[in-house]
Amino acid sequence: MLRFSPARAATASVTPPTRATLTFRPLVPGESAIRARARSIGAALLFPLAGFLLLALVWQVASMIAGKDLPGPLATLGVFWHLLSNPFYDKGPNDKGIGLQLISSLGRVGAGFGLASLLAVPVGFLMGASPISRRVLYPVVQVLRPVSPLAWFPIGLAAFRSAGTATIFVIFMTAIWPTLINTAFGVMSLPEDHRNVARVFRFSRTKYVTKVLLPYSLPHIITGLRLSMGVAWMVIVAGEMLAGGMGIGFFVWDSWNALSLERVLSAILLIGIVGLILDRAFDWINQRFAY
Amino acid sequence: MTPFLQLQEVTKIFGTSRGPYVAVNDVSLDIQRGEIVSLIGHSGCGKSTVLNMIAGLERATAGTVCLEGRLITEPGPDRALVFQNYSLLPWMSVWDNIFEAVDSVVTGLSKAEKRERVEHFLQMVGLWQHRFKRPGQISGGMKQRVAVARAFAVHPSVLLLDEPFGSLDALTRASLQEELVKIWSLDNNTETVVMVTHDIEEAILLSDRIAVMTNGPYATIGEVVQVPLDRPRHEREIVANPVYREIHDHLWYLLTEAYAEAA
Repeated sequence: MLRFSPARAATASVTPPTRATLTFRPLVPGESAIRARARSIGAALLFPLAGFLLLALVWQVASMIAGKDLPGPLATLGVFWHLLSNPFYDKGPNDKGIGLQLISSLGRVGAGFGLASLLAVPVGFLMGASPISRRVLYPVVQVLRPVSPLAWFPIGLAAFRSAGTATIFVIFMTAIWPTLINTAFGVMSLPEDHRNVARVFRFSRTKYVTKVLLPYSLPHIITGLRLSMGVAWMVIVAGEMLAGGMGIGFFVWDSWNALSLERVLSAILLIGIVGLILDRAFDWINQRFAY
Repeated sequence: MTPFLQLQEVTKIFGTSRGPYVAVNDVSLDIQRGEIVSLIGHSGCGKSTVLNMIAGLERATAGTVCLEGRLITEPGPDRALVFQNYSLLPWMSVWDNIFEAVDSVVTGLSKAEKRERVEHFLQMVGLWQHRFKRPGQISGGMKQRVAVARAFAVHPSVLLLDEPFGSLDALTRASLQEELVKIWSLDNNTETVVMVTHDIEEAILLSDRIAVMTNGPYATIGEVVQVPLDRPRHEREIVANPVYREIHDHLWYLLTEAYAEAA
């Protein structure tokens, strides 16, 4: 029998890593607060910088071994800079600035992710709160969730007759599951004690949902949204490689066809940076609602 | 006259994976209005189960629990429970934790009157200046006072305390015990209190009667001990009282020898 197992849901919901806090005690007695802070910021930047230098080094060595086939970091950064210096030019359908491509991709991710959230949060809430709906819906979720999102692309094409809309549909199918499962798991894991408070003090149904269930599960829901956004941003590149026409994924494929690995690598860098910013944004939202 | 709170031949059986487990067997106890009664026993002897059945969080497998002649079937604000781990809602301020309880329990009061009541009880437990803090920002003793204030603020017929001071340090515990009795006497001693504890000194200090439970399974009330000590009681004075000594030794004997083994 298929049963909703919190353990499996828990592994699906990666708990956000606890923020590594680096604190620096003033080494110099009597050092001013501003100086100590500047030093701690400097040190905090030092370690990531070391990591990137290491990456650049490995990259450089790899490109030296591969010869002309793999451009090195310096050549790539030149092209990267060139792409960023004029991101919004538009010379017809096959030649647009990387900024326009990014905005197009972000728009599709936003649309697919937004629609998915509108469905996943209420359905997840229902599954968490009602055992019957959980027993009905969870097997369906289990069957659909492992499907590669790109498999939905033909269905999207058939339904919408537009590659762009089909891409949004693919993102929609991608972004449903983490949010749905985390929401259901969050609502389900409401501690008995909180429930008992509502029972002893006779909270109305509305008060129970708005003052107990929702605030309790909000961090779980936001974690789900964050994971959904993460996979949506990963899948958009693949989706647009299939769909063509517009977007950062198309840009990657188009650059490959133009035999410019510098542009491909630049796009990879940019995709990573945007992904990081999106993730940070959700982290920031999550901290607002943490209790 | 029927007693205010009456437990009649109450039995609770839990279904476990290894078959039924009789946690509480044939417990009968009558409690009068205004009494403070303690349930004392070894940990795991089922005293919290008895309290939960009075609270209505659990149903008795057999027997009845009645408050003012009415059968208890579900939880309700007439039996406000102070949970063992306080059970404040961590996303709400101290103020909201009390206000939401008052707001949903009390009918026929304006919002302003409800706010007045919350303020009254927050002042009473000395947490007025901490009202905007969340439970995570205050100490264990303060959380406990919020939980007590929340319970008193809904004007329950019975106040149920589940090892209320168990996880506090000795100094905080002593001052809160005193405060509890003070709040109780401010309400003209009309409040009925049922308390679960495993602390003999605490039981004697606070209770009119102490129900001593035997060890589980098949735990039941072995003996009900009267505490004929005058109020107000002060911990440092009553320990010198020969009556206190006598009760203390008797309880000690019951718990360590008479009921040390499973019945």
